[in-house]
Amino acid sequence: MPPANLTESDIRDWCIAYLKKTVDNPSIAIGPDASFAELGLDSATSVYFTVELEEWLGTELRPELVFEYPTISALAHFIADGQDGVADATGG
Amino acid sequence: MPLVADPDLSVVAALPSLSALLRHRAAVQPDDRAYVALSDRGREDAVITFAELDRRAVALARRLADRAVPGSRALLLFPMGIECLVAFFGCLYAGIIGVPLMVPRRQSARDASVNILADCTPRLALTTAELLSGVRGDLVGRFQHADLEWLAVDAQTGAIGAADLAQPQAQRNDIAFLQYTSGSTSAPKGVMVSHGNLLANLEMTRIACGNTRASTHVSWVPLYHDMGLILNALQALYVGALCVLISPMAFLQRPYLWLRAIHDYRAQVAGGPNFGFDLCVDRHRPEQLAGLDLSCWKLAAAGAEPVRAQTIERFTETFRSYGFDPQTMWPAYGMAEATLLISGGNRGEGPVVRDVSRAGLLRHEAVSPREKADAQPAVGCGRTLVGEEVAIVDPETTVRLCQNRVGEIWVSGPNVAQGYWQNPEATEVIFRARIAGEADRRWLRTGDLGFLDDTGELFITGRIKDVIIIRGANHYPQDIEDTVQDSHPALRRHGGAAFTILDEAKGEQLIVVQEIERTERHRIVSAQLIGRIREAIVLEHDIVPHEIALLRPGALPKTTSGKIQRALARQLWLTGALERL
Repeated sequence: MPPANLTESDIRDWCIAYLKKTVDNPSIAIGPDASFAELGLDSATSVYFTVELEEWLGTELRPELVFEYPTISALAHFIADGQDGVADATGG
Repeated sequence: MPLVADPDLSVVAALPSLSALLRHRAAVQPDDRAYVALSDRGREDAVITFAELDRRAVALARRLADRAVPGSRALLLFPMGIECLVAFFGCLYAGIIGVPLMVPRRQSARDASVNILADCTPRLALTTAELLSGVRGDLVGRFQHADLEWLAVDAQTGAIGAADLAQPQAQRNDIAFLQYTSGSTSAPKGVMVSHGNLLANLEMTRIACGNTRASTHVSWVPLYHDMGLILNALQALYVGALCVLISPMAFLQRPYLWLRAIHDYRAQVAGGPNFGFDLCVDRHRPEQLAGLDLSCWKLAAAGAEPVRAQTIERFTETFRSYGFDPQTMWPAYGMAEATLLISGGNRGEGPVVRDVSRAGLLRHEAVSPREKADAQPAVGCGRTLVGEEVAIVDPETTVRLCQNRVGEIWVSGPNVAQGYWQNPEATEVIFRARIAGEADRRWLRTGDLGFLDDTGELFITGRIKDVIIIRGANHYPQDIEDTVQDSHPALRRHGGAAFTILDEAKGEQLIVVQEIERTERHRIVSAQLIGRIREAIVLEHDIVPHEIALLRPGALPKTTSGKIQRALARQLWLTGALERL
């Protein structure tokens, strides 16, 4: 179900929760400002991360986004800023 | 199975070159579809018939001939799709030696291709108009260190008259293309694959696979990868079958698109590296596969990295309810130095998985396990192909070993390539080996360890060469070690080792151990530094280390001449004897 009225912090929280679940390495701390590469996302896993995020958001995302916005914070900010409805919800 | 069912195939087997093969296909089945490229959502994006492929290759060959003399090299830098095949055959028609390379990933900082370019000194670089335009990153800028003339293959004009369709001139001994999958970044080695090598290996593959014109292929394996190019794209053309291409990126995003395409096109042949099968299982969602019928699928080639028993089992179990026949799994073994395929089973026989004794393997013997804890499942990679010989040889004494003894796998046959481009020393060692006490025959040393069992089934058990294979891609430890040491000044030069361990659940896993500079020991924050190293390895090599450990200075074993002893470091790691920081 695509949740409505998402804020930037909702997106950030979802990303953190998703990566905590999938990264599967207790020695890696999942933080909003670490790069996806530092969190251990290679091209295959980052592509799938985008697919999952896309399904949760209910909108299409370009797979290259994770390379252009390489941290959870940057990605969440971009998505929240760039999408109708979502931008309103963040007050931006 | 009849060896020659179709008279067309005996004509093909006698052709002098791959160029003559395409010309033959264009003559006997001009309007049949040769390749279909699917979009990232699985729709038909582009189609080319055999006749059209022939015409476009001729047109390109004419453009190439205006720019370079036969024997010159041309880089082939393409996304998955038909343009890559037009370029490949255009080069063959012009007598230009194609060099397929991966389009560099934007996020990598260093350029792995610098030394490849220095090695093969290409005159031309072929790509698509889109990549050349720079919308997907500055491709030309990445290669500015080389003096290259760039050509967009899809930006060609001018009609081709019948007079232009001269008979291809290439002969069996001419080099068809160079495959750079061997050698580290600093010392790349280009395998010289001749027309004769390709035709021989395509024929061997056809016989083992029992492929015919009806054997539609569906492939997501990139065309710069020898498995994608030869086992999928060229084998289909060899037998006159359709090959459907899906981009690797689309497959990673939505593996079900591959399975859907197999269903839609009633494909018989579809394969890839082991991890692709795991991906299909991991991302399996029944709602995406409603109505899927995989009963058409006859050959699921698995290769390019060790094939795992667990993967075969999981995939078969998951997709059995969609009509996937367990006998379809086709583990195979090969490498660029042997054109591609070295061994494979016969169609319909199914994979051979047997338990061998772990203790026995340590003694270099394949024997039955004494008890459950001693059992290790081994996946057979099929048998020697028709026209080829495989020997198991003691790598130290070069004496031939008998059945069920583990040694280095050596290969001899018409599929063994001509050697490494402009590297007679390495060619002599790898391609011209002799078995002690035997006649003059020359052998290819694969650097892989394995055994042949009583039935002639080949099993791979390990590797003596330094290559690390993850998700079907070859990596070299020294390249990874360089990346690590470049990532932070606190990390000691020549004080690191990269090696792999076998994780029962995940397969081959990368371990990195790295010494810290003495002066930095008390200044660094380990977690941060490890994060930095992980980031650097992911960005440069696109692999995620299973574990990264920082060591105190001098903890790594070295030879008297100061070289890191990787195998010993691995041993110490496994026993927990490496002194961590």
